[in-house]
Amino acid sequence: MHAELKKYKVGTGYDEVLCDKGEPKAAASALVEHLKTLSLSDLRELQKNAEATIAQMGISFTVYSDEGNIDRLWPFDLLPRVIDEDEWKQVSCGLKQRLKALNLFIEDIYNDQKILKAGIVPSEIILSSKDYRPECHGMKLKHHSWASICGSDLVRDGSGNFYVLEDNLRVPSGVSYMLENRAVMKGVMPDVFRDICILPMNQYPYELLSMLRSLCPTDTLQPEVVVLTPGIFNSAYYEHSFLAHEMGVELVEGGDLVVGDDDCVYMRNIDGLQKVDVIYRRIDDAFLDPEVFNPDSALGVPGLMRAWKAGNVAIANAPGCGVADDKVLYAYVPDIIRFYLAEEPILPNVPTYLCSREEDRQYVLAHLEELVVKPANESGGYGLLIGPKADKQEIEKFRGLIEENPRNYVAQPTLSLSTVPTLCEEGVEPRHVDLRPFILQGEKSYVTAGGLTRVALVKGSLVVNSSQGGGSKDTWIVKKEGV
Amino acid sequence: MLLSRVAERLYWLARYVERVENTARLSKIHSQLMFDLPKSVKLNWYTLVELTSSEDYFDEHYDARTEKNCMWMLLGDRNNSASLISSLWWARENIRTTRDSLPREAWVYINEIYLYVKDNIDDLQVRSRRNALLEKVIRACQAISGMLMGTMADNAAFRFLMLGQLIERADMTSRILDVGGYFAAQEDNPEEVEQYGSILWANILKSIGIYFMYRQTVQIEINGNSVIEFLVYDDKQFRSLKYCSERLYELSSSLPNSRKVLMVIKQLQDLIHQPPEIEAGSSTLHDYLDEIQLAISAIHSVCYQTWFYPEVEAVSDMKNIQ
Repeated sequence: MHAELKKYKVGTGYDEVLCDKGEPKAAASALVEHLKTLSLSDLRELQKNAEATIAQMGISFTVYSDEGNIDRLWPFDLLPRVIDEDEWKQVSCGLKQRLKALNLFIEDIYNDQKILKAGIVPSEIILSSKDYRPECHGMKLKHHSWASICGSDLVRDGSGNFYVLEDNLRVPSGVSYMLENRAVMKGVMPDVFRDICILPMNQYPYELLSMLRSLCPTDTLQPEVVVLTPGIFNSAYYEHSFLAHEMGVELVEGGDLVVGDDDCVYMRNIDGLQKVDVIYRRIDDAFLDPEVFNPDSALGVPGLMRAWKAGNVAIANAPGCGVADDKVLYAYVPDIIRFYLAEEPILPNVPTYLCSREEDRQYVLAHLEELVVKPANESGGYGLLIGPKADKQEIEKFRGLIEENPRNYVAQPTLSLSTVPTLCEEGVEPRHVDLRPFILQGEKSYVTAGGLTRVALVKGSLVVNSSQGGGSKDTWIVKKEGV
Repeated sequence: MLLSRVAERLYWLARYVERVENTARLSKIHSQLMFDLPKSVKLNWYTLVELTSSEDYFDEHYDARTEKNCMWMLLGDRNNSASLISSLWWARENIRTTRDSLPREAWVYINEIYLYVKDNIDDLQVRSRRNALLEKVIRACQAISGMLMGTMADNAAFRFLMLGQLIERADMTSRILDVGGYFAAQEDNPEEVEQYGSILWANILKSIGIYFMYRQTVQIEINGNSVIEFLVYDDKQFRSLKYCSERLYELSSSLPNSRKVLMVIKQLQDLIHQPPEIEAGSSTLHDYLDEIQLAISAIHSVCYQTWFYPEVEAVSDMKNIQ
């Protein structure tokens, strides 16, 4: 492995583990020392063990394909990503600040709309957002907790600064894989955890449960919390059942719940109906309540919105919170932080051009080959244009799309995402990564120690989504020796 | 507290695990029987097909009643919903979709054995390797049952698992008792059958894993009638019909709204308590066991109406219950 690390060529961007000359970054030195004792074939053996563990534990995710749904094993790379604890403290303060401001923003949008009146955010952005729900007007929530669970994507630029790439406020997923990655890692490289002080992260389910309980609208001492899943065919079903299991709460489908004449939510038990106080929903707004939203949806619960608006049940994340999960609105988040908190944002945004703005659009259309163009409301890395990697035809296609519907597109400079040494066919090579930490906001705020590191396994690729061939790594927040 | 949907899946999960184990035992023992009996006793592989009520399926998909075909239909045929591999897949699927209600090991254990059988499915075609694989399957099923026993609480979820296990077990015991009937009826040579009867009945006891308990309890020579008595009336044997039906009654009375379920279990108990004069291999026995199986399937249906798909009355009426 020593030789491998010497051969390792740090890419043009920032490497999370090694410096330009191949020396380890301070936080990674203990890891690199450990790796030096292993040969490449040792590593491959450990990687095989990790994959066998994943198969045995049945850690999988579901992919939609032409042939139907298939369960795929979770892709995992043995070599972890390492972040210094002090640096992480800063990042987590920035994430809490951001979510606090976003929650104040959402509540404001559905009440006084002060920020629109002050002209900080243009009204038409809100009114044209597909996740804006007029049905939520007048709602005020306990602890202002609209987006109670947020999974923000972070990237580093060439000099190693963290940027927020996007906020996922609707039904962010991946946290179970973050926890499973750690569990697999502990099984495969147990010694490392004795030698290096890596902050634990497995308290997440308890933090999640305590946050959900803090949302309970009544003063009952034993709130009944459930996780609402679209069902066993959903791509994140593994995660839904994982979280319900770890929290010891019921995993329910829409058909298990019923709203009574008293506007309370009940679940169908073997001995009749039982009242539900808090719902952690993992289905989209549009399917939540056929009485209010999509009438054809068989996934949701008729009357759920009625129960929520009557204050008889808490829903996390609250309906309508997706209004702040729009890539156009993203551009305004620094201003949103300043407006509600009177603070400077701790974490910067990636510079973003809004195609709805005349000036920005002209710039974007003239520089398509340099930019990443994203639709405002897609997830999973679909419908992207990565300018520098696109051919003429694709660029022209996006030119048309933008001109047709400028509101729906934003563009950002192509960042050279940071890299982490990764076990590849040819040996250990740099591969691009991003990071999705999870932030909770109920009575208290909480940020995971690290997050889910996703890695683009294909050489040079920037696409990290697991549905598109990306992999994942364990993420270590390392406390310095003797501190 | 238990969701109706989850209760149903747990019930089926336990049924499938029990079915997998019983199917594996049955196949393994049938092979043993082949080694033990002289060639002159023509042992029929097709018996296995009849035991699992799969005649229609077999006749439609297989041309000859060979060992290979019969075994494959029973064990490795994915299109046969009653085969070992299908039952294992369904058990896994039921855990996958109730993982949140069970100890984590439940999923890991079943996933592991499913993957193992799937990867080694060709071993089912070769007699020597088949037995090793079946042995592994039996052990895995025992590990799952034992782990659930050792790690769960005596809560509603556990009771539905037990309910499924007992119903499947009673069903399987009644089917296995019928083997003697098939055996006797299909031989042209009654004296020889009689001569080797003790081997047959000993293997039947082994096929459900209670040969040892029989030897301890019943001191007389092994014969059909004593085995039947043992498997029907002995109230201390976990696999006897009497024991299963008493446990079913006890369990159901600890579950909510069970009045109708208890009524049908009572019908099964009446059958067990007032048996006709029966003899191993007789058509009376066959008819009697048929009746037992019908009674078991009636219990199954009432469980559905009571717990899994209950008629939900107006919500306002139901609130008083919680």
